[in-house]
Amino acid sequence: MLSVENLKKYFYTSNGIVHSVDGVSFNLRKGETLGLVGESGCGKTTTGRTIIKLYEPDEGKIIFDNQDITHITQNEMLPFRKRIQMIFQDPYASLNPRMTAGDIVREPMIIHGIPKDEHDDRINHLMRLVGLNSEQAGRYPHEFSGGQRQRIGIARALAVEPELIICDEPISALDVSIQAQIVNMLEDLQNQLGLTYLFIAHDLSMVRHISTRVAVMYLGKIVELADSDELYTNPKHPYTLSLMSSIPIPDPEKSDSRKHIPLKGEIPNALNLPEGCSFHPRCPNAKPECRSLDVTLKDIGNGHLCSCPFTE
Amino acid sequence: MSENILRVEDLHMSFFTSAGEVKAVGGVTFDVRKGEVLGIVGESGSGKSATMLSVMGLQGTSGRIKSGRIMFNDEDMSMMNMNEIRGRKISMIFQDPMTSLNPVLTIGYQLEEALRRHKWKGDIHSRALEMLERVGVVPAEKRIKQYPHEFSGGQRQRIMIAMAMICEPELLIADEPTTALDVTVQAQILDLMKELQKSSGMSVILITHDLGVIAGNADRVLVMYGGQIMEMGTRHDIFYSSAHPYTKGLLRSVPNPDMPKERLIPIEGQPPDLLNPPKGCPYVKRCPEAMKICMNQKPERIMLSESHCYSCWLGVKNNA
Repeated sequence: MLSVENLKKYFYTSNGIVHSVDGVSFNLRKGETLGLVGESGCGKTTTGRTIIKLYEPDEGKIIFDNQDITHITQNEMLPFRKRIQMIFQDPYASLNPRMTAGDIVREPMIIHGIPKDEHDDRINHLMRLVGLNSEQAGRYPHEFSGGQRQRIGIARALAVEPELIICDEPISALDVSIQAQIVNMLEDLQNQLGLTYLFIAHDLSMVRHISTRVAVMYLGKIVELADSDELYTNPKHPYTLSLMSSIPIPDPEKSDSRKHIPLKGEIPNALNLPEGCSFHPRCPNAKPECRSLDVTLKDIGNGHLCSCPFTE
Repeated sequence: MSENILRVEDLHMSFFTSAGEVKAVGGVTFDVRKGEVLGIVGESGSGKSATMLSVMGLQGTSGRIKSGRIMFNDEDMSMMNMNEIRGRKISMIFQDPMTSLNPVLTIGYQLEEALRRHKWKGDIHSRALEMLERVGVVPAEKRIKQYPHEFSGGQRQRIMIAMAMICEPELLIADEPTTALDVTVQAQILDLMKELQKSSGMSVILITHDLGVIAGNADRVLVMYGGQIMEMGTRHDIFYSSAHPYTKGLLRSVPNPDMPKERLIPIEGQPPDLLNPPKGCPYVKRCPEAMKICMNQKPERIMLSESHCYSCWLGVKNNA
């Protein structure tokens, strides 16, 4: 459905070039959920935003439904925006406080030329679909809780019947008990409407739960990609190993018996990427040759892709 | 001297806002023992932070303690000069290390400020250097002259920890100390806090909404909801034999590490409005097992064992 090839997005700042997305490639299959995980600054959000062309890509290709959309104009992009929608992290900042919930959900219908006489029926239907009631369409965002606002954001994304939804940290700002409500709803909607998700998040256990496959990003590159159970039970890249061993486990005995593989230091500045494998300065198994290594994703069996050549 | 460093007795605290009285804490009683890590878990609005602000005397001009007692080392804190206690006997670290540090002062100045304020006996500068080294902000000689913006989020949190511990407090209150951090950095900071707690023997109150962080770091756990304590026990009590429907619901709403694909069971509904809190149990509107009495009367605390108690009418019914 979507294929991203060697995508690059740089930001030019007064301090130098930030290599936010530095050669990312993956395929997204129809009906699946691909999780994109990594720590802040790894480029996962930029990847999502570049795919929907909120940012103009610097290099590489974005192929959606066999059509190259990499460098098409904003006008040409419009029909694709109808098919690719986005849900944002912050349910407070992503809704216009001066518009009612109903008008927020109506806006994409106006932009994409859906006949006016259908709007109200659709709004009522969408409000119910996301677990709100149609009377609430007349209320303003501040009258809703965080979880309810996120439901409005989801209704807005669904308003134009998209095929692919880019979910950028859709549950990070929500309380634990509300997160489960939203995750279940996203799963139900996927089953009912045949949606495909790119699910960007840093909560690794929730990503495992919702995703078919998971890609791990580090400093603008995907370092490992596999089916989610495979990735979590059999991680290969040293960064993934450390990441997995840092997930807090809600079980005291498992938590005590698990060995945590600490990483040295913190994620380096994206202005000055390390030479070779960009993970080598923090890698517990770094070898001298890692400084000049050309890292590309290689299949190590059963579609498990890993960029580190030194895994057992 | 008792084994408790802190005792909170029937604390009621409200914020007075233009919309009315927000009853943030509605009758909370618990102890913190010497040398333990007490985890407090709860969602936004559960009253976990408001309870701690009351302990620190930082409830602000809109917040007021309406009744209850807070005892520190068996002494009533309302009789104490809080300026002598804060930063010396009890310290606090917050979620966001950036807004907790002053951007126009070097971190050295800010570290030494606490020592000057509390008339530290000994060399202030070398104490600050020593603390920076202990929390792993190195080379300390160079970094002590730098400003907060020159540090990453994880390092700022290390500096906050150094600052909180520089006067060797007896109790450290950590309010969501790792929520703003990435998971690998979170693990580093939690390891550091554990190590410092063990070597100094201080008590720690660890406030978080992350059940995983609680499971890995707390000796005892207190579960709060709607301004009240729902359940309290050792981490084994809470994770393996939870009794309160809210605790059970919370544990079911996160993915099970053994069955990660299993459908989640969320807690339906929304947290209570603390402007008009329910008369009875705060959880009544979301509780799958709610009874008539839960609407109108607050449940009593039921002891299940020496370490484990919960507040729920179901328990009262089962006991009768």
